[in-house]
Order: sequence, then C-alpha cells, then structure tokens
Amino acid sequence: MDNYIIEMLNITKEFPGIIANDNITLQLKKGEVHALLGENGAGKSTLMSVLFGLYTPEKGEIRKNGQVVKINNPNDANDLGIGMVHQHFKLVEIFTVLENIILGVEPSKMGVIDKKEAREKVLALSEKYGLKIDPDAVIEKISVGMQQRVEILKMLYRENEILIFDEPTAVLTPQEIDELMAIMRGFAEEGKSILFITHKLNEIMAVADRCTVLRKGKYIGTVDIKDTTKEELSKMMVGRDVNFKVDKEDAKPAETVLSVRNVTVKAKNAAAHSVTNVSFDVKAGEIVCLAGIDGNGQSEFIEALTGLEKLTSGTIELCGKDITKASIRAKSKGGMSHVPEDRHKHGLVLDYTLEDNMVLQRYYEPEFQSKGFLKRKAITEYSDKLIKKFDVRSGQGSATISRSMSGGNQQKAIVARELDKEHKLLIAVQPTRGLDVGAIEYIHKQIVEDRDKGRGVLLVSLELDEVMNVSDRILVMYEGEIVGEFDPKTVTVEELGLYMAGAKRDNVSVETVKEGSDNEEI
Amino acid sequence: MSVVYYLIQNTLPVAIPLLLVALGGMFAERSGVINLALEGTMLWGAFFGCLFTLFVGQNMGNAQVALILAAIVSAVMGIVFSLALSFAAINMSADQTIVGTALNMLVPGAVLLTSKMFFNSDGITTNITYYIKKVPVLGDIPVIGPMFFQKTYITVYIGFIILAISIFVFYKTKFGLRLRACGEHPQAADSVGINVYKMRYAGVSISGLLGGLGGYFYAVGVMDGNCNGHTGVAGFGFLALAVMIFGQWKPEKIFFAALFFAFLRTLAYSVALIPFLDNLGINQAYYKMLPYVATMVVLAFTSKNSRAPKAEGIPYDKGSR
Amino acid sequence: MKKFNLREFTASPGFNSFTATLLAIFLGMLFGLIVMLAANPANALEGFSRILTGGMRRIPDVFYYATPLIMTGLSVGFAFKMGMFNIGASGQYTMGMFFAMYVGFMFNLPPAIHCFVCVIAGMIGGILWGLIPGFFKAYLNVNEVITSIMFNYIGMYLVDMLVQGNATMYVSSKTRTAYLPASAQLTSLGIKGSSLSVAFIVAIVIAIILYVVLNKTTFGYELRATGFNANAATYAGMNGKRNIVITMAIAGAMSGLGGAFAILAPSTIAGSSMTYEPVNIVTQAGFTGIAVALLGSSNPIATIFTGIFVSYIYRGGTLASLAGFKPEIIDVVIAVIIYFSAFSMVLNAAFRSKISKAFGHDNIVKPNANAEPDPVPAEAESEEV
Repeated sequence: MDNYIIEMLNITKEFPGIIANDNITLQLKKGEVHALLGENGAGKSTLMSVLFGLYTPEKGEIRKNGQVVKINNPNDANDLGIGMVHQHFKLVEIFTVLENIILGVEPSKMGVIDKKEAREKVLALSEKYGLKIDPDAVIEKISVGMQQRVEILKMLYRENEILIFDEPTAVLTPQEIDELMAIMRGFAEEGKSILFITHKLNEIMAVADRCTVLRKGKYIGTVDIKDTTKEELSKMMVGRDVNFKVDKEDAKPAETVLSVRNVTVKAKNAAAHSVTNVSFDVKAGEIVCLAGIDGNGQSEFIEALTGLEKLTSGTIELCGKDITKASIRAKSKGGMSHVPEDRHKHGLVLDYTLEDNMVLQRYYEPEFQSKGFLKRKAITEYSDKLIKKFDVRSGQGSATISRSMSGGNQQKAIVARELDKEHKLLIAVQPTRGLDVGAIEYIHKQIVEDRDKGRGVLLVSLELDEVMNVSDRILVMYEGEIVGEFDPKTVTVEELGLYMAGAKRDNVSVETVKEGSDNEEI
Repeated sequence: MSVVYYLIQNTLPVAIPLLLVALGGMFAERSGVINLALEGTMLWGAFFGCLFTLFVGQNMGNAQVALILAAIVSAVMGIVFSLALSFAAINMSADQTIVGTALNMLVPGAVLLTSKMFFNSDGITTNITYYIKKVPVLGDIPVIGPMFFQKTYITVYIGFIILAISIFVFYKTKFGLRLRACGEHPQAADSVGINVYKMRYAGVSISGLLGGLGGYFYAVGVMDGNCNGHTGVAGFGFLALAVMIFGQWKPEKIFFAALFFAFLRTLAYSVALIPFLDNLGINQAYYKMLPYVATMVVLAFTSKNSRAPKAEGIPYDKGSR
Repeated sequence: MKKFNLREFTASPGFNSFTATLLAIFLGMLFGLIVMLAANPANALEGFSRILTGGMRRIPDVFYYATPLIMTGLSVGFAFKMGMFNIGASGQYTMGMFFAMYVGFMFNLPPAIHCFVCVIAGMIGGILWGLIPGFFKAYLNVNEVITSIMFNYIGMYLVDMLVQGNATMYVSSKTRTAYLPASAQLTSLGIKGSSLSVAFIVAIVIAIILYVVLNKTTFGYELRATGFNANAATYAGMNGKRNIVITMAIAGAMSGLGGAFAILAPSTIAGSSMTYEPVNIVTQAGFTGIAVALLGSSNPIATIFTGIFVSYIYRGGTLASLAGFKPEIIDVVIAVIIYFSAFSMVLNAAFRSKISKAFGHDNIVKPNANAEPDPVPAEAESEEV
C-alpha cells in the first residue's frame, strides 16, 4: 500500500477553452511497468508534462514516497529522479550523441566541460544495458533507433529511477519494439519504475503490470493487466465497443491509374533515406498501402510523387500520361488528390477561413473566379455544401478561421476538399495521425468509399493496424526501396515486421505486380 | 612591399570592428535571437565611447588607458541597449526583424538630437590620438613588425584577445554548449532544465557588448575617434551580419570572413595609393559599393549550403506556464 | 511577472488592431515627451504641444509630405502580406527618384506627357531595385532582409555617383541637383504656398487598387496564402517563386513611385523645383515607410491614414525647433512607435486566436472532446520552423 513511489492526485490542468486533465489520479509503484492508456487527445501527454514540470496544474498534488513535492520545471523533476523519453525526441541535431546526453548536467571545472569523464560514464552505461551508441556521432546522421537509445541514456546518465516513455514504439519495428519491451522489463526488475504511455493494447498486454486509462481528459480507472483483456481495455479507452476491422468488400482492381517506374530521389539530409529505384502500380478500385518505419524514404517518395520535391530519375504516369516533370498544379488538374502528411504545414492555411481552405486546390477554376476576381458567393456555397456532406464541424461554418478548429475537423476538411475534387488517384499520407477513434473510423470509411467509386488509392501509413485493415495490397519500404509486396489477408504482422526492419527482402519487380498480386506468400 | 604593409596596417583596424560585431551577432543568433539592431548598437556604443573621451578620456594624459576605459563604457552601454531587443524579442515574442529595425532608426535620431542640442553639431568630435606609430621592441621585428606592430591601434590586439576568448567560450564551456542548444532546439534545452529565456538574454547581451565595443573600435579605427549621427557606422553593422553568415555562424570562420570584407573596403578607400588600380580609372564610387556587392555575391553562393541556427528568429514560448 | 499582467491586460476583448496601433503611438509619443523633458524641461511642454498641433496649421503640407510616405508604406505593407520584409524601400525610393529625375533632365518630351513619363520611369527604377532581391530570394534562397539592406547602400552610392557625374543634373557649386524643367513637375492641386499635387490623389487611388487586388483577386488570395503559410501555398500548386518576384516588383514599384512623387513635386516658387543632394547617406524614407505600414497593419486603406499621421507629426516636429528642440525628436518618436508596434502585432495575433478559441468555438471543441490542443501537429509545427 505504501510502496507508491510517485502519486499524482486529483490533477486538473486547463488550457484556454479546454480542460485537458480533469481530476486525474495516477499512482506508480516502485519497480512496476505502469501503462498510461488513452486515445490521441485523451490528456496523457499533458499529464506527463505536469509530472515532468513542463506544465503547472491548476489543482491537485504530486507526492513522491508519500511526501508532497512541487515540480516547477524539468530540473525539479530531474532532482526527484524523474526522466522522460519524449515522443518527439528532444535532441539537438547538430550536437554529438555525447553532447546531447550531458546537456544540462555537464561535468565541468570552472565552467569548462570535462568530456573525458562524461564519455567514460556514458560508455559504461551503454555497455551495462546493451544500448549501443557511438558517442561522437552527430545526431542528425544516426538512425531513429539509436536516437531513442540516446534518449534512454540521457535518463540513465542522470541516474533517474522513474522513467517515462511517451509513445516510444511509434518509430520502431516490431522486433525493435520487442527489444525495447525487454529493456523496460529489465529496468523494472532493477527497481526502477516505468511509466509507459501508449495507445497500443498489444504492447500493454505484453509488458505492463498495471494500466491507467484516460478518456477525454478524465480518469477512467486503473486495472491489473493480469485481470483484464484487450477488449476491456479498448472499451475503457474509447467508451464503447470498438470494431477495429474496417468493413469493406474485396477490391476489384481495374485499369492502372498510377504507374511509378524506377523512381530515385536524393535525400535532403543525412538522417533521411534516399529513395532508390521504386517501381509499382496502383489500379483503379484498390487501396495500395506503402508501409514502413518512419524515416525510410516514404516522405521523400511522396514529395517527389506529388511534386513538392524533385526526383532524380525515373518516371511517373498518371492515367497513362507522363507526369514526371509536371508541376503540382498540373498533377492536381490531371486527377491527383493529396491528403498531406502534415496538415498544418501543407494541408491548410490556418489563418484562412474554412471556405478559403476548401477551395485551396480549386480557387482558379472558372467556378470560383472570373477574370482574376474571386467569386465569393460561389466559394461560400461550395464550402457550405462540403461542410454538410462531410460533417465538418466548426464554430461559424464557412467563415471559421481554420486555426480554431479541432485537429479532427481540420483533417476532415482536407479530406473533404481532396475527395470532392475531380480525381482518379487519392494519395493519403498518414491521414489519421493524431486523431481520435471516431475520426479515424470516419476517414477510413471515406477512403474505402472512394476506392469503391473506382479511384485508385495510395495510402502511406506507419500504423500496422491501419496497414492491415484498410489496404488491399501492401508494399513495404525499407531504406528507400520496396522490399516486399503482400496481401493483407495472408501476411502476418510479424512477417511484415521482418521486412520493415530490413531483416528480409524480396526482389519485387513490377512484372510480378502485373501478373496479379495475391500470390505473394514467399 | 610598402603597399602590402599599408594594406595590412589599414585592414586590421577595420577588420576588428567587423569581427567583434559579427561575433556579437553570432552569439545572439546561436542563442536564437536575430540581432538586426547591431548597426544601431555600434553607433550607440561609439557615441557613448566618444562622449566619455570628450569629457574624461582626453584629459587623462594616457591615450591608451583612455581608450580602454572608453571601450568599457561603450561595451556596457551596448549591453544596456541590447536589453531593449531582449525584452521585446524574448519576453514579448515580438518580431525580431522589426524591433531591430526600430532600434536602428532610434539611434541616429537620438544621437543627432543630442548632438545638435548640446554640441551644436551632428556628432561628437574628440581631440585625442590613439594611433600607435610603433610598438616598442615588437615594432622593430622585420616583416612582422611593420605588419602588425606599426601604425596601428591597440584595438587590434584587444580584438584578437576577444576572438580567442569567444572561440574558447563557444566550444569548450558549459555556457557555450547550452547557448548553442537554445538556438537549435530550445524545447530540448528546456527539457533538460536549461532556462532558454536566460540563455537568450545572455546571448543578446553578449551581442550588445560586442556591438557597442565594435562600434567604438570603428570610431577609433575608421572615424579617427569621432562619431557622427548622419554617417553613423556606414552599414558596418549590416556588413557584420553578412560576415557572420559568410562565416557560417562559427567564430573561427567569421574571423576570416571579417578579414576578407575589411580588405575589400580598405582596397576601395586606397585606390589612389595603389598604382595599378588607380590607372584603371574606375570611379571610386564603384569601389565603395564593393563590400555590399561582394556580400550579395557571397550570399548567393553560400546560402544554399549555409546552415542558420534552426530556431533563430522564433520566439520561444513555454506554453501556458 | 510583469509580462503576464501586460499580456492579460492587452488580451482583453475590445483590444483590437486599432487600439493596439493607438497604444504604440501613445507609447511612442510618451517616450518623446520624456526625452524632451530630460533634454530641456523648461521648454518641453511647449515643444511637445507644437508637435501635437503644429501640423494643423499646414494641412496641405501634411498631405504633400504624406504622399511619398504612403507609397513606401504601401510598399512595405504589400511585401509584408506575402510574409516578406521589404527593408529595401529606401533603395527603391532612391532609384525611383533618380530614374524620374533622369528622364526629367535628359529627355526632351512634349510637356503633355513629360511628367507622366518621368513617373513611369521612377516606377521602373523602383521595380528594378525590388526585383533583384526578389530574384535572390526566390531562386537563390537568400534572405530578402540582408539583400535589400545591401541594395539600399548599392543604390545610394550608385545614384550619388551618377548624379555627381552628370553635368546637366548636378550643380557642383551648390552640391545639389539643378532645377527640373517645369514640364517634368507634377500638376499642382493649386493650393497656394503648398507643393501638394495630384500625386496625393494618385497615391490614394493606388492604395484602393492594392486593397482590391489583395482581397478580391486570385492573385491576392495566392499572395496572402503564401504569406500565411508558404508550404501550403506550394502544396496547392501556387507558383511561390513567381509570386515572390512579382510581389517584390510591386513593392519596388510603390517605393519607386514614392521617390518620383517626392522629386517631381511642383515647386511653390516659379522656376525652381525639388532638388537632391548626394551625401552618401541612405534615405530615411523607406524606414519611415516601415512605421507607416506597421501602424496600418499592412492594410492599404489604413496606410493612407497612417501615412498622413506620420507626416503630420513630422510637420509638428519641424516646429518643435521653435522651442529649442530639433526635428530629429520625431525620428526618435517614430522609432519607438515601430518598436512597440512590433509587439502590438504579436499581441493582436495572440488576441485573435484567443478570441476564436474563447468564443464561438467552445461548442465545437468540447463535443469533439479533443481535450488537448491537437498534440501532434502542434509539436510538428514547432519543430519544422
């Protein structure tokens, strides 16, 4: 009973207009792996930021070993032995591994850094826990996996005993995830306490001792993993029974919509992989999913495909027309719709009204302008129509400034715009990133409907569940190459994982694609 | 040979202000704040340095001591001035470029106003000789002597010392590492307990110090110990920013960039003394444009590969803390 | 701690763009008063009241001096709308002035069109000096701030050299340019003792045209989209590079016209004209334009009024010398106004987003129950800049 090392009691944290954490309690035992489960936007990150001293809560208290403590900044958290691996790594890209590990706690004499001492300590830790790193490598040049090891070493270097992992598995292959789970268990056995933030139920079942569930900023409950099931957890998380399976008929692939041949793209920076010799087809009426671990060239490939960046060599055909060198506008007019990876960076002009964003790809069409002057009325009417059709919710309808809308509705607006536009091919890049289950289901449904209307869909996803459930055909990209092609009905997640990690690869040629794609058992 | 000596002797006193101010810009930008106000900071520092000299320095008897004291005054005033940028940029999340422009406009106006009201002139004219004809002993060394220890100013030596200190602080100390982290990834710095606001204040203050000092050294090395609200520092603060970009935000490279620009400028103003250039008969105004044109050319060629601090110019906001 | 109080205060409803501008002006004037009190306490109040009221006695002059300011203000503001900082308005202004002057002196044209051609030439001069930084930005990825500053100096040295080297234009004994022929001068509005010309009306018309272009046309739509989010503009297939160049050309044209309007203004004394003195100093006109644009939140219509306001206090400033002060006090006041408007813009932006969160959208955010402000993209945003 008294062996709680950290207790967060009745924490309330408000942001303007939103209660992110509403009276939440979380108790962490010494030596346990405690999962914190919730959907995107459930308040997990906020709660952890409170524990880490990044936010100050309006109400509630934090106790360590029964004593009330005040955590006003990360230094206080560190002094209490709390460390955190952030979902988006907090690493200075131009610094070396060693510099990143010691930043903030540099061993020094008269302000001059003593790197020798630091290096020895880091190497010893790396050895002890099997966290392989090169202390002199520059962060931007090492793999994401090693970057994560650097983050873990940062905590160990500070001798933290309460370790927070914020969605640590998103960037890892299934095999790497297993390794991480083992490392986490190892820490726990050594007496360290682990807080593991995730929305993936399998991982919780595999590694956690107990689990606290949040939903919409509220505390739902804490359960022992050995007494619960995946289904029960998912019900607690979403608040209703969830059918993770996407309802869809078998694909009826027709004519080729997109044909990519030998596309090669040079990498922009050293950390990203270049794209080498990628060839495949997408046919009308099928959903092809480009799967892979983040940073394996998917983004670079899509940027080249859509025209945001130049490709080095190769050809792209859209409905039989060569669009390799075509401008973005020409591709768009030629029938390409693109739901971009980053809705804030590319998808929306956040300071524009919703209606202005609804015509972002079409404002120049005669329907919306005449002699260079915008037809305001036509734009508003069109926007109102889309809002209704796609159930986009916003404060003042078409006149709403897009920035003020929730992430889910922003994404819905983009999907509405891209789907309603005349198109033959839909490219959707991580279309459900950061959304809650309701919005995810909705967007999946829309994508499948679009397929059934005879459009070709190229879906890029990092989420294996999405890959398995939505797609009709899976292409795995590893280090910028297509290393395998699969039928989601016959392949297993483990098998995909091996390909995503580069442990296995086939020679995928376009010919095999043409002969039919459902015999890829290999 | 005398032309070579002449060029070196005249390049260094020009290079040092550029170097110091560019280093100042570097400290500010590596902490994440663009200091476009360096032009104004220079004139500000020069003005107070000259003011000190007028009332105190030139009656002291020892010109070199007077120079050092005036330099300290200008450095301190530079720091004070930079607080206006820090407050706006760090506390108020203001647009740094606009604030810098405002501060650049403020100084000439203020200097002219004060000078006209109290000295009935456009600036401050002092009566003191900082010029060192020959450093004892060292000045007699062949070749090196005439290059570095004759017809020079003490500012040159101070400049080299500051360069050495800057390199050391920047690369070897805890402070330098933390400063650089704030300009690249302030969220990362914050997450390991570094106070980004404080580090940025420090970076901007150093740039104020070096900007004020560089301004006074400009007055010493280029303006004969005077300052003028109309001509100001003739775009040196802006050139220093170009020097900093050309130097890739790294102190050792900035040094060479400063030498390059100072050399061009010295060349422009020495055309009459260099028979070859003089014979070409090109209007001197073209030479005067040379440093600015060179900046454009250099930027055009380097900008594709240049790597500015990632977080520069972006106000850091912790969120709702 | 102070910072938070100030922020809360300024974030209250009703604190809109207009009051933010007024606040910046108030703080700037207050600062000016303090400086005056410090410099000469006995005459400070008299000097200050002359600044405040001096312009009233010379309204036509206020309009006359406002004309180039409105033009440089439009120039800076137009580039701002596209997310660019045109600090090179001074160089464009100088080039415009020179081009206009050159045609005025060197071309013998029928009086009916001479002046018109001069104005067009001035516009072309400005366009040229705006285009080049535009090209550098669009095609070589060089930040426009540094290039435009360099072009201020290059333009200034170039013009001074060309003026001094031209015997028709330059009177070396007076170290000034000669008088322009009357045919090159703008048509006066006929107000006695004032140089106010049709240019003032033209400036207003141009401001209105720019307003329409920005808000009603597809070009304006693209331009503002690029200013808000250049990546999204690219994604939407807009030609960002071309738009950058066009925007800088238009901005340059505005400043160039400003320079032309200034030098071609009709003289109140028969047989004379405005003159230019080459002194190797970058003109203040473009920098004042920054103040005009900022105070007007880059809105072309508002720029007309802020241009008149800035001109007004400059007129008052010249009268402050009657109380023993110098006109430079106004430069100080303007600088301080720009300083404060740099945050009032930020305060406004913060305020806008707060309003939209606090009102109207509450009912949207809550049912969707995105209990946190959309964590993923928020992070992505901060990392990508």
